[in-house]
Amino acid sequence: MKTTRAFIVIAATMVVATLAVTPVNVLGQGFKPTRAVDVVNHSRAGGGSDLFARALVQMLEQEKLIPPGWQVLNKAAGAGAQAMAYLAEKKGDPHTISVFTNTWVVTSLTVKETTYTIDDFTPLVRMILEPTVAVIKGDSLYKNLKDFVEDAKKKPGQLIQVGGTVSSVDNLFRNLIQKTTGAKWQYVDVRSGGERIANLLGGHMHIYFAQPAEVSEHVRAGNVKIIAALTESRLEGLPNVSTIKEQGIDVPIITQVRGAVGPPAMPKDRVQYWEGLFLRLTKTASWKKYVKENEVESAYLNSEQLGASLKELSNQLRETLKEAGVKVVR
Amino acid sequence: METLQNLSLGLSVALTLTNLSWCFIGVFIGTVVGILPGIGPPGAIAMLLPLTFKLDPTSAFIMLAGIYYGAKYGGSTTSILLNIPGEPSSVVTCLDGYQMARQGRAGPALGIAAIASFIAGTFGVLGLMLAAPPLARFALRFAPPEYFAVMSLGLTMVAYLTGKSVVKGLLATFFGIWLGIIGTDLFTAQSRYTFGQVELVDGIDFTVVSIGLFAVAEILVNMESRVKADLFKLPKGLRNLLPKLQDLKDCRFAFVNGTLVGFFVGLLPGAGATIASMISYGIEKAVSKHPEKFGAGAIEGVAAPEGANNSDAGGGLVPLLSLGIPGSNVGAMLLAALYLWGLRPGPLLIHEHPELFWGVVASMYVGNFLLLILNLPLVPIFVQILRLPYFALYPMVLGISIVGVYSVNYSFLDVWLMGFFGLLGYLMRKLHFPMAPLVLGMVLGKPTERALRQSLMMSQGDFTILFMRPISATLLSAAVIILLSPTVQRLSLREKKGPQRV
Repeated sequence: MKTTRAFIVIAATMVVATLAVTPVNVLGQGFKPTRAVDVVNHSRAGGGSDLFARALVQMLEQEKLIPPGWQVLNKAAGAGAQAMAYLAEKKGDPHTISVFTNTWVVTSLTVKETTYTIDDFTPLVRMILEPTVAVIKGDSLYKNLKDFVEDAKKKPGQLIQVGGTVSSVDNLFRNLIQKTTGAKWQYVDVRSGGERIANLLGGHMHIYFAQPAEVSEHVRAGNVKIIAALTESRLEGLPNVSTIKEQGIDVPIITQVRGAVGPPAMPKDRVQYWEGLFLRLTKTASWKKYVKENEVESAYLNSEQLGASLKELSNQLRETLKEAGVKVVR
Repeated sequence: METLQNLSLGLSVALTLTNLSWCFIGVFIGTVVGILPGIGPPGAIAMLLPLTFKLDPTSAFIMLAGIYYGAKYGGSTTSILLNIPGEPSSVVTCLDGYQMARQGRAGPALGIAAIASFIAGTFGVLGLMLAAPPLARFALRFAPPEYFAVMSLGLTMVAYLTGKSVVKGLLATFFGIWLGIIGTDLFTAQSRYTFGQVELVDGIDFTVVSIGLFAVAEILVNMESRVKADLFKLPKGLRNLLPKLQDLKDCRFAFVNGTLVGFFVGLLPGAGATIASMISYGIEKAVSKHPEKFGAGAIEGVAAPEGANNSDAGGGLVPLLSLGIPGSNVGAMLLAALYLWGLRPGPLLIHEHPELFWGVVASMYVGNFLLLILNLPLVPIFVQILRLPYFALYPMVLGISIVGVYSVNYSFLDVWLMGFFGLLGYLMRKLHFPMAPLVLGMVLGKPTERALRQSLMMSQGDFTILFMRPISATLLSAAVIILLSPTVQRLSLREKKGPQRV
């Protein structure tokens, strides 16, 4: 009995002492992870979000902003659904965050099985906007997207666009352009980026709305050419490529977003930590190199701004998805 | 001449002590990854990627490529010994490999798997070395209609895999196709047969089904008879641990078949080694003089799919290295690695970094050789597993199966599903339903559907697109011939012998 009581006393003293030594955590200012963080993503190994998560961890480590040992977790089922369910389970856990893309928003809108939607999570930061460009085979006669659209008008349904799933940005752009111009062409959903380029190079399909980095080597080899930037303004890396609006096709621009979210209802101090960490990352040399090499736009937003931007994106995607004929369930 | 010069450049890169060591490390890790079910090369490469940033890209690529083709050697081990497919592409190996093990021929089965892998792997590299750019251009001629034709050709193999009852064979095939359909519709993103479960939105993983049907069902069947003195006949003496000269002679055609089918399917992005191994197994059975032995321990039934599985690696690297187009998850991982190391994989890679391309090619010759001398001595050691008493062996098999299945998606639903497919496999065995058609249906059903619907999207719903293109027309004609030939054979047999039950 005596020893038990002594033990309790010692334990209690230790707890008090710990609290006294580390008042910062209790008072809520300056949260810092106390162990390695798990970074969740919704791709399989080698997929887009997987690579983004790994690149983030690698850069953070390289710039000595975090200690080594952070893990990347793949929760690939259900196009974001499994990753969302996993992150929701981690409510209250300070050591789990996830990277996200438009896919999370689209899945929230269109998959009725998902118990959680993007609105359930704590927005942390937006990091990247990925521009889309229109790509055709190198020996094709079209000089710009306008030529392609005009040709499509002449032979409706004969030209073929290759791209991702019906709910992907590529197909949404197709629907928007078809609607404004009255042209009609076919859309074939091909699983991986590699197979899409193969179909373009083989001449089986005629146009592909890609991310610049996906095709840059083929552009350099002369196998394909970029005929329009589906962006608001010209891209830094492609100053000679005119934008879709310059070519007289006025459509709303949808951009692929990449960033990070946390489990539901994350306390303010933790949000601040993540905002600070990623903001510091965007100022580093590694980040600048990454942005340049992958031909993406560094587009940091903090938690509050991201929250507002996600609502906007959600509304925009809901309308465009409906127009594209995808069943919206929320 | 130029090739020889290039190869000597490659050898000078690959034979340095550093690169030799990395090659060995790669193929060794690959073998281990192949043996363990569930974890596959993409996962292993993802885990090791951060460690490669400090390496020279060529050394790093040599190591990662070693994991890729090394895993293909290891995949057969558990298939043969324990009826647990180590990788999806080794499922077909279970059919005859495990039967051989039960007949006391585990050693020859493992040995022939290693030898077939070595031969096909080496010829696969030869194809990669001699003709990568023209072969890549050839592969570009394949669009959805051609893929549909290849997949149809694969599905016709059912005709050779059904066993005694055609009806049961077809039922199993359709059930397999249905299993493949579960998940999300490929194009409209509608859920199909998910019963409201998020875990099913992506469909049921092939690993879950195959481990259930093979490994778990096998345990159930064997638990039934309480006393069975020797389930495995143990091989006696060292001489029975390796394939005999006669075995090698029997497999002559299987080596060629496996090499060609694997390499060709490997060239096509998105087709995959599992499909290659199945098609080569079907071909092997179709041309065999004793097709009745398949499924009962025919050594060619191990050699052909294992060969196909390995030359697929050489084929798969063709579009990856000469065009920057990955054909599989592993390919995508390797491509990502090249980017992360600061290289620019694409059509210009071979010209701008000849030391990388030729170094990797040369290292693959070396690596395949290393794998052969690594795997053959392991055969007698692995065979000792069969000495374990059942009360130790079965819990171990079940344990490996559960861990393997769980590690695919980290989902417990998958473990329950494995149990369900175990029971299903047990019932199928009792009712004499063949397994092979189910597996084939599951693997080929979805890609066939995808290719067909893509073709029809291209043609605005016009079916003639499938027959108007020379490559797909040829392949589809071949499919029709294959489909009809057993029926014709059967009919002519019936005429000779008079009416009888089929």
